[in-house]
Amino acid sequence: MSIKPVKLVIIAGKEGRVTVKYPFQEPIVTSEFRGEIEIDPAKCIGCGACVRACPPNALELLESEKEVILRYFVGRCIFCWRCVDVCPVSAIKGTKNFELATDKLTDLYTLVVHTRAICELCGTPAETVRVRRYVTEKVPISEEYVNTCPTCRKKQFVEKVATRMVGFSELKK
Amino acid sequence: MPDPEAVTKYIELAGKNSGIIHIEGDTVHITVPPSNLVDVADIVFNKYNCSFRVCAGIDERPLNGHFSLVHLFTDDKAGYYVVIKTYLSGDSPVAPSIVSAVPAANWCEMEARDLVGIEFRGREVYRLVLPPWWPSNLYPLRKDVPYNYRPEPRIESEKIGSSVEYGVIPLGPYHPTLHEPEYFELYVEGERIVDVKYRGFHVHRGIEKLAESRMSYQQINFLAERICGICGFVHSTCYALAVEKAAKLDVPERAQFIRSVVLEVERLHSHLLWLGVAFHLLGYDAGFMHMWRARERVMWLAELLTGSRKTYGINLVGGVRRDINEDKRQKALEALRELHKDFKSVIEVALSVPQVKKRLSGTGVLPREDAIKLSVEGPTARASGINKDARRDLPYAAYKYASFRVPVYSEGDNLARALVRIDEIFESMSIIEQLLDKLPSGPILLSDFEIPDGRVGVQVVEAPRGGDIHYIVTGRGAPYRWRVRAPTYANIPALRVMLRDQPLADAPITIASIDPCFSCTDRVVVVRDGKVEKIKLTPVV
Amino acid sequence: MSLKSSILKKSIWVFHLNTGSCNACDIEILDALTPYHDAERFGVKLVVSPRHADVILLTGPITAESLPKVINAIEAAPRPRIIVALGSCGSGGGIWHDTYSTIGGVNELLKILKDRGIEVDAVYYVPGCPIRPEALLYAVALIKGIVSKKREMKIYKAE
Repeated sequence: MSIKPVKLVIIAGKEGRVTVKYPFQEPIVTSEFRGEIEIDPAKCIGCGACVRACPPNALELLESEKEVILRYFVGRCIFCWRCVDVCPVSAIKGTKNFELATDKLTDLYTLVVHTRAICELCGTPAETVRVRRYVTEKVPISEEYVNTCPTCRKKQFVEKVATRMVGFSELKK
Repeated sequence: MPDPEAVTKYIELAGKNSGIIHIEGDTVHITVPPSNLVDVADIVFNKYNCSFRVCAGIDERPLNGHFSLVHLFTDDKAGYYVVIKTYLSGDSPVAPSIVSAVPAANWCEMEARDLVGIEFRGREVYRLVLPPWWPSNLYPLRKDVPYNYRPEPRIESEKIGSSVEYGVIPLGPYHPTLHEPEYFELYVEGERIVDVKYRGFHVHRGIEKLAESRMSYQQINFLAERICGICGFVHSTCYALAVEKAAKLDVPERAQFIRSVVLEVERLHSHLLWLGVAFHLLGYDAGFMHMWRARERVMWLAELLTGSRKTYGINLVGGVRRDINEDKRQKALEALRELHKDFKSVIEVALSVPQVKKRLSGTGVLPREDAIKLSVEGPTARASGINKDARRDLPYAAYKYASFRVPVYSEGDNLARALVRIDEIFESMSIIEQLLDKLPSGPILLSDFEIPDGRVGVQVVEAPRGGDIHYIVTGRGAPYRWRVRAPTYANIPALRVMLRDQPLADAPITIASIDPCFSCTDRVVVVRDGKVEKIKLTPVV
Repeated sequence: MSLKSSILKKSIWVFHLNTGSCNACDIEILDALTPYHDAERFGVKLVVSPRHADVILLTGPITAESLPKVINAIEAAPRPRIIVALGSCGSGGGIWHDTYSTIGGVNELLKILKDRGIEVDAVYYVPGCPIRPEALLYAVALIKGIVSKKREMKIYKAE
């Protein structure tokens, strides 16, 4: 019988006690850890770029007539931080939180409620007010183009082309 | 590097069998009519000694009105991928089965039958992947079936089989030695196992169909990583490499180095995990605790380099998302040095414990001929004398810049498989140090590129358990077909050979010695009806 | 019931139920028992049969194949039954919450269990992918009453 297996006691003695007594002591978390995300409601414009990039659909856009709600469900989040990469206004920031356990499902939701603008010609609900403001700030386009929905824009464009080619009186007939 | 001389024999083979051949980089595509399929497969597998990897059924009716069947081989000595494709009729696809020539093709043909609806002639057929109550003419991978259509499940458990000559011992699906739901039925005579029936596929989640429908190219990296929690980065890298090969993208060198470093970090954590679990199954719990204590350093290192302890999420098509700066590089090298000392002292002590040595040696033997016929992968193959490693034969990422040894043993028992893994741990540490020393500078992510549709990409990456293969046919915005075959898929049929005539007490360690990862396997289920059947012993190969 | 719960808080025996997950959460459960995190400080022990369990740790989006077996296992646990749904797959169905082969997480399972008359006394959700071992210890401490929960529903109005 060799004595070698007993050497494990020496190794154990050299290492000592390695337990980190969480939650009474701070856990070992590196600076690179990816925890949950935080949405800044002052910056978010409700464009939906994060919704398209999210692989498990943890971020969703819920639409009703007056409002567009961005809903973040931490329960389904995979903590990949792709939404942080693609947000055009940098409204989403990553944190290091991982202590998210709870016994009520509704605790895991975060909602950002946006008001919805309407098309000035036909009155159907369109994108959010903030997206309109963002577009007008970035791109020099006319107000009457921005304040209409795509269907009305198409109709306006066709009328303008037809007026130039045929004559407005012809169209009225 | 692929050997250009070796291609001539494939050109002759295609010519003799009215096939069309087309060579692109390191992939040889041969298209043959269905009548010549078995002959071509026989020559490629038995005469040219290629390894069989997987077959895939594709529904190409929106493109050209046909179904098609693809068999994937790799010529390990010459460094080529050999893709043999055949087209089947669009109304009722029937294909000849190659199981008589290539026994390793057993499971994947049944999977093509379950999911795409291709019938096979010349073999016995059974339902493999889907649950027994699944409606029989609903094929999920066909293009006219939506990905989220769920038929009403039938919730009743079936009875286990029974036998008049032998005792039946059900192992699973929830059992203390297993981490995953899988069901083994052991037929025993006293203490000796005479036969094994396996039913798995409890982890089939519909990944391939999901990738074709709801996801885009960049989102599938995260989906692929969650195929398996232990070797997930391998799947994510293999997918990215296959798409980059299909679209002919020029990925920056620094990104390939970072990918290789993280792949080796994953191999370290996976082998240390296996050693801990193996010691626990043998009754040596002190070894289990010390192995996982040493492993914790690797998890800390992975979190420092990538941002998460597991499912790293740094791969994108075109590069990686996180960089390794000088500070991280120094910390990584120091952590590796400490791990080397720690692991070396613990493993010497652990292997000298009498119960470990005696229980591992001589049990669960897999002879070399059976291993070749079943095309087993990874340490299971290398412990039975087959010298096969995709990092050296079909080099990818940055492995051509590192020099390493491939350990091969010839006994084929549990101890050989354990020693192969221990040697690979030391080799991995050396590879990481070499690559971190040679890290080139430059960007880490390709920004402006387009992925054209209709291209084919095949890639093999050596996972801790063996060679993992991904086959991609690109479409618009999302792949048209994505086939994944993980290494455990090829290793499980070998369990029948290993468990025959062994004492029952050795069953858990033998099942664990192939390092099964059933969530990677993801597809294999031998479904039986709950009928009493008489057990006859049939030869396994 | 309250006498039983106060006895329960002393030491919690857990049964690990894998309903088709990728195994990352399962390995982190095992990791919680190893020296660095040491769940046994709280009296946690992995048991071999659901009949001995106080708490069931559920991982994975429940797949269609494993559904009957999961229902059997949960039914075998004695009252009070507490289910802790781990990870993105357990809490919300995960990245595959709507494919043909999965049920979609613990919320759908609770509906099926209610139809069959199996009662579950409490459900805890632990987000993460995979969960950190510390997150699991936080959930155990929450069940025992040592810490209080931190995450709350937040509703912001944009203007």
